[in-house]
Amino acid sequence: MAQQQRLAAWRALPRSDLTQTLASSRCVVVDVETSGLNLLDDRLISIGAVALVNGRIAMGDSYSVVLQQETVSERSNILVHGIGGNAQRAGIPAADALLGFLDYLGRDPLVAFHVSFDETMIRRALHDYLGLQFKHPWLDLAYLMPGLNPPLGKIHRSLDDWVSAFGIRIDARHDALADALATAQLLQVAIVQADKKKAFTYAGLRDLEKAQRWVSAVS
Amino acid sequence: MSAIHSSQLAFFAAHAPFDRMEPGHLLWMLERMSLAYYAAGEVIISPEQGSVERFLVIKQGKVNGEQSVAHATETDAWLELVAGECFPLGALLAKRPVASVYRAASDTFCYELAAADFNVLLGMSAAFRDFCTRRIANLLEHSKQLIQAQYTQSSAEQQSLTSPLAAIIHRAPVTCAPDTSVRQALHLMHESRVGSMVAVDGQRRPLGILTLPDVLERIALPQIDLDQPVIGIMTTQLTTLPPQALAHEAALAMAKHGFRHVLVVEDGRLVGLVSEKDLFALQRVGLRQIGSSIRHADSIAALQGVAADIRRMAHNMMAQGVAAEQLTQFISTFNDLLTVRVIELESAASALHDTPLLQGVCWMALGSEGRFEQTLNTDQDNALIFTVPEGKTADDVRAQLLPLAERINAGLDLCGFPLCKGRVMASNPEWCLSLEEWKRNFSGWIMHGTPEALLHASIFFDFRALYGTQHLAEDLRAWLSRVARDNTRFLHQMAENALVNRPPLGIVRDFVVGKENTLDLKLNGITPFVDAARIFSLAAGVTHTGTIQRLRSSAEKLNIHAAEVDAWIDALLFIQVLRMRHHDEMSGQGNADAVLDNRINPERLNELDRRILKEAFRQARKLQARLALEYHL
Repeated sequence: MAQQQRLAAWRALPRSDLTQTLASSRCVVVDVETSGLNLLDDRLISIGAVALVNGRIAMGDSYSVVLQQETVSERSNILVHGIGGNAQRAGIPAADALLGFLDYLGRDPLVAFHVSFDETMIRRALHDYLGLQFKHPWLDLAYLMPGLNPPLGKIHRSLDDWVSAFGIRIDARHDALADALATAQLLQVAIVQADKKKAFTYAGLRDLEKAQRWVSAVS
Repeated sequence: MSAIHSSQLAFFAAHAPFDRMEPGHLLWMLERMSLAYYAAGEVIISPEQGSVERFLVIKQGKVNGEQSVAHATETDAWLELVAGECFPLGALLAKRPVASVYRAASDTFCYELAAADFNVLLGMSAAFRDFCTRRIANLLEHSKQLIQAQYTQSSAEQQSLTSPLAAIIHRAPVTCAPDTSVRQALHLMHESRVGSMVAVDGQRRPLGILTLPDVLERIALPQIDLDQPVIGIMTTQLTTLPPQALAHEAALAMAKHGFRHVLVVEDGRLVGLVSEKDLFALQRVGLRQIGSSIRHADSIAALQGVAADIRRMAHNMMAQGVAAEQLTQFISTFNDLLTVRVIELESAASALHDTPLLQGVCWMALGSEGRFEQTLNTDQDNALIFTVPEGKTADDVRAQLLPLAERINAGLDLCGFPLCKGRVMASNPEWCLSLEEWKRNFSGWIMHGTPEALLHASIFFDFRALYGTQHLAEDLRAWLSRVARDNTRFLHQMAENALVNRPPLGIVRDFVVGKENTLDLKLNGITPFVDAARIFSLAAGVTHTGTIQRLRSSAEKLNIHAAEVDAWIDALLFIQVLRMRHHDEMSGQGNADAVLDNRINPERLNELDRRILKEAFRQARKLQARLALEYHL
C-alpha cells in the first residue's frame, strides 16, 4: 500500500504552470532504452533523465534507473544499449523504478526527441505496473528543431544529426542518461534560438512544435 | 536522487586539476554543477557584471578573453580557452569582477559552479586549491612529470640534481688530526673502506684532504716516509659548500676545479663529504670527466670531441628532467671552460700566452652566453676589452690582438660555435676596444638611441668577463649601471622597442602562427622576457647579466611583487624547456646543431603543454604590460 500512497501523493501535486519562462522554471528531459522498437510488444528497460532548471542543466538533479526484467531482451537488442542480461535481472523492481521516476519528475513538463516513442513506453509501463493513466505535457525536439532551423530541418532527421550540427558530443550513445544529457543540451540551443521568435516559455515552445507538425503534415 | 554518468567523470578525469582530485570531491563538485549553453558571440562574463558569481569549466566549444579595459578599441582576442580549461580563477579568488570580457567563440557548453561552492571546494580539496592558487607552477609540475615519463631510459631512483647536499650525505666523514702519520691515515682509510680522509682541527674545521688517487701519486711512487704527518701531503685548497647548497652546485664545482670531492661545511665545521659517486645521476653524465678533458685537451681537435660530449651530456640531463635553468647554466659553464681552453691554446700557439700584452686583456661573452642562457645552437657573440699600456695607442694593441682573436673565433667555430653572422666577435676591429673606447661607444648608444644603437645595446649590455683581466669588464659594468640608470629617455626607448615584439596570441587561432603553422619560441617566447629583464636591471642598477637573476634582483628595487616575478620566471623557464626539447628532438633526427631552429608547431604539442605555453605567453603579456606601465607606453 506504500506504493498507492506514493502514487496518491504524486497525484496530489499541483500541476506545473507551463507559461512560466524557461529561465525561471524546471522541465525534465528524458530518454528510454527498450527491448526493441515495437511500441506494442517491447518492454521498457531503462530511463535516463536530466532536469533543466532555470535554463541550466542541473548535474545533481538527474535520474537513471534500470527496470528489473522477467525475461532478458534479445542479444541483438543488448548490443544496442549495452545493458546485459545480469544487469537487466539485477535492476530495480519496475513499480519502484517508476515511482522513483515520478518522484523525481514531480509535475514538471517533459521533453524528448521523438516523443511518441518515449511517451508510449513510459505511459504503458506506468499503466501496467502502477495502474496510472499518465497524461503529461510533452515537448518534441524532433519537431521543434526543424521548426527553428528550416534549412537544416530538410537534411537532419535523427538525434545524432542534430547534436552533431551543434557540436554536442554524446559520450555514450544509447545509454539513456547520456542521450538525455545530449538531448537537454540540444534543448538549451533551442531555447536560445526560440528567444528570437519571442517564445520564452514551455507553452511557447510547444506552440512552435505544433506549427511545425502542421508544416510537416502538409508538405 | 542524482545520477552522474560515468562519462562526465571521465571528462573531468582527463583534465587538470580534476585528474588529481579525490573521486569523492569530484563527485561533490559535479553534483553541484550546472551545464549552461552559450551561442557563438554571446558574452559569458564581463567586468560590468560585478563580482564573479561562478566558476566555469568548458565542456565543449571555445571561449575568448578580450581585454576590455586597457585597449577598448582593440578587438583582438588575447586568450583562447578550450574544452577542459577553467576560468576566471584570478577574479574568483580575489572576489572581484573579471578584467576581461569572456565571450563564446563558438557554440559553447560550460559546467558552472556557484562561487560559494567553489570556496567550499577550495577548503575541501588540496589538489584543487593548489591548482587554483599556484596555477602555472602546477601545470609545470604536470608537464615535468610527462617529460620524465617520455624519456624512458631515466630510472626512477636517480638522484635529483635539485636535492640539497644535506640529503645526499650518507655518513659522517672519516677524519683524522693533521699530525696523524701517513701510515696511520692509510690504515684508517683501509679499515673504514673509504676513498678519502679529511684532516680536521679541534673545532672540526677541515684542513686538508687525501684521496686514493693521491696515494699512488704522492706516496707510493715517490716512496715517501710513512711516519711523517699526513697534512704535509694533503690537498689543502679545499672546495667547500654549505649543506643547503644543491647537488648541481657540487657537480659544477667538481667539474670546474677537477676535484672528486666537495666538503660540506656548516659554520666552518665539517659536516659531510660529497663525492662524485654520491651524485649517482651525475656520474653517468660524467660532468667531471668532461671538465677534465677540456682542461687537458692539447689541441682544437681534442676539444671538438669534448664539444660532442657536452651535447650528449645535455641530452642525458634532459632525460633526467633537469630544470631549464640548471641545464642552460651547465651548458654555459662548459662552454665557458671550452672557450677558455681555446683561448689558452691559441694564445700559446701565437706565443702570446703569459706575455705582458695579455695581462691587460679581457675576453667578454655577450648575448645569451653573457646571460648564461646558452642552448645547443648558440652562435658566437664575443668581444675584447683591453687597457692601453703607457706609450702605446689603442690601435697598437688592437693590431696585436686581432690576429689572435681571429684564431680564437675560428677555433670556437670548429668546436661547434658558428661564427656570428652579424660579426659580433672579438676579431672584428669594432668590438676589440679599450675600456675608454667601450665607454665612448656605450655613451653614444645611450645618447642617440637610434634603432641600431638599441639593437647593439640588446647584445652588448649583456656582457660579462669570461677570460683574462676580469676587473676591466667589471669596471665597465659598474660604469654602465651608473650611466644607464640616470638616462630615462634611453630606457624609455629600449622599452618601446621591446614592446614591438608581442607574444603570439591572437584572434582566430589561439596561437598566432606563421605560414608554416609554427611559432618562434626564441623570438616570440624568450626575447620578451630577456628584453624586459635587461631594461629593469638597467633601471634598478642591477649588475647581473642572467635574465632570472635580473628579474629577481630588479623586482625588489622596483617594488614588483615576488609572486608576480615567480610567475614570469616559471613561464620563461617553461618556454626554454620546450625550446631545448625541440632542439633535442631535432638532434635526435640527425640534424646538425647549426640547423637547429626555434620554430615549433603548437598543434603538435600535447594538450597540457599547449595550455602551459599559452599561460606562459600570457605571462609575457603581463610582463610587457608592467614595462608599459613603468614607462608610460
